[in-house]
Amino acid sequence: MNFFTPIVIAELICLITAVFFLFKDNISFWKINIAYLLIALSAEARGSFLAAHHHHNVGLFNTFVLFEIAFISYGMYYCLKKYTNPRPVIFTGLVICYLIFTFFTVKNGIHAYNDVFNDITVSIMSVIFVLYCLYYYYKLLNDEEVLDLKYHPEFWWVNGVLFYYFGGTAINLFYGLFNIRIFEHIPLRLFIYNIINIILYSNWIYSYLCRAKQRKLQS
Amino acid sequence: MQSQATQIAILILITTFIFLLMPLFLIIYIRSYTRHKKNHLLEKEHMRQKFESEILHARIEVQDQTMQTIATELHDNIGQLLSLTTLTLNSVNLDDSEKAGKKIGNSLSLINKSIKELRELAKLLHGEQVVENGIGYALDQEINWLNKTGAYEIEINNSLVDLTEKSPDKDLIILRLLQEIINNIIKHANATAITFNAHYEDKILHLQIKENGIGFNYEQAAVAPSGMGLNSIHKRIEMINGKLILNSSPSNGTNILIEIPYP
Repeated sequence: MNFFTPIVIAELICLITAVFFLFKDNISFWKINIAYLLIALSAEARGSFLAAHHHHNVGLFNTFVLFEIAFISYGMYYCLKKYTNPRPVIFTGLVICYLIFTFFTVKNGIHAYNDVFNDITVSIMSVIFVLYCLYYYYKLLNDEEVLDLKYHPEFWWVNGVLFYYFGGTAINLFYGLFNIRIFEHIPLRLFIYNIINIILYSNWIYSYLCRAKQRKLQS
Repeated sequence: MQSQATQIAILILITTFIFLLMPLFLIIYIRSYTRHKKNHLLEKEHMRQKFESEILHARIEVQDQTMQTIATELHDNIGQLLSLTTLTLNSVNLDDSEKAGKKIGNSLSLINKSIKELRELAKLLHGEQVVENGIGYALDQEINWLNKTGAYEIEINNSLVDLTEKSPDKDLIILRLLQEIINNIIKHANATAITFNAHYEDKILHLQIKENGIGFNYEQAAVAPSGMGLNSIHKRIEMINGKLILNSSPSNGTNILIEIPYP
């Protein structure tokens, strides 16, 4: 089947892990991970299906960006609230991202929603999320509490986010400029996206395992 | 065109690789830092436990010392007085009222002396609860007991009785230090005069003990493994961040100066 791309497979495994380990979690953030992964998997699978049938799928991914902004911001809010009041920072980021998205959607024209990918929003959103991650690490280092980071779920969740958004910087910046293919038929952009998605979901799977272990120890 | 595209592809791949390496190093650094922080806290906890165990040790030793003192006093002093009282009363001849009166009077004075000695011992026992009344009081009690034996000519300058700062843990160790130094003087020094100076200045407690005994070779004694005295004193002083200056040489007596940051 054409839509079983590496990203789809990684998302599927991540979703199954999330359902298995987080379904009975009492903290809403971890349960929302399941919902987000379901949305991401649906979008990715549908996108691959459309691409395989030579239909435009850009509108789908444009819409998905809105969910992505909301979820990652919520995730960073959850991780940061242990150390500080992150509302001002998170809300500022949200406003910037949605404003830029709206601006460029209107600028490109609503008719082009399914043709033109809102890559500038993605670039700016990536920078904002990387800054959130670095802020989290800063707060973590300065905190008095000593954590065993090897099994700290929030730490690994943020790691995944940092790898994904920082690693994707080069390809975001050069989006649309080059349609380069490597290994003769794989677009370079897609190749890098596959790698960073696998890194993202691997970190998230491990963070879900750590969360399950944490819940077990606390109960 | 193809080679240019390839070059650009390689450039993007290398850039992405570098952008992936940076978070990796950041994460390694954070984990390493957290590990060091954890180790540091564990070490601090370990040292705190060691300190508490040493305090407990010192407390037990102070109690032992006091018990020993009391036992000796009871046996040598009060035991003798009461035995003498018994002898005197036993030898009373009720027919000779004048002599009997004298002997009863003597017995009464012996019993009074015993009561006085017992009171002194009680004070010592109470003083062993030490630091409720402050280090000045505890040192006073210890030196007074030594003075009471009459074996030494003692000069005391103790201005610590009015000290308002308190540090119960350090007080216990300082008292134990004094006890050990006094023990050493009694056992080894053959001294006839001892001077005690204690005062508090610039957040440092100064304690000086000077005696005119036979002295000893400090360097040799510090190296020799015999006896716990010097090693124990050094260890205890180090634990409370204090300083010890000891001047002694054969036939020149010994002068010990201790400085301890307080509280």
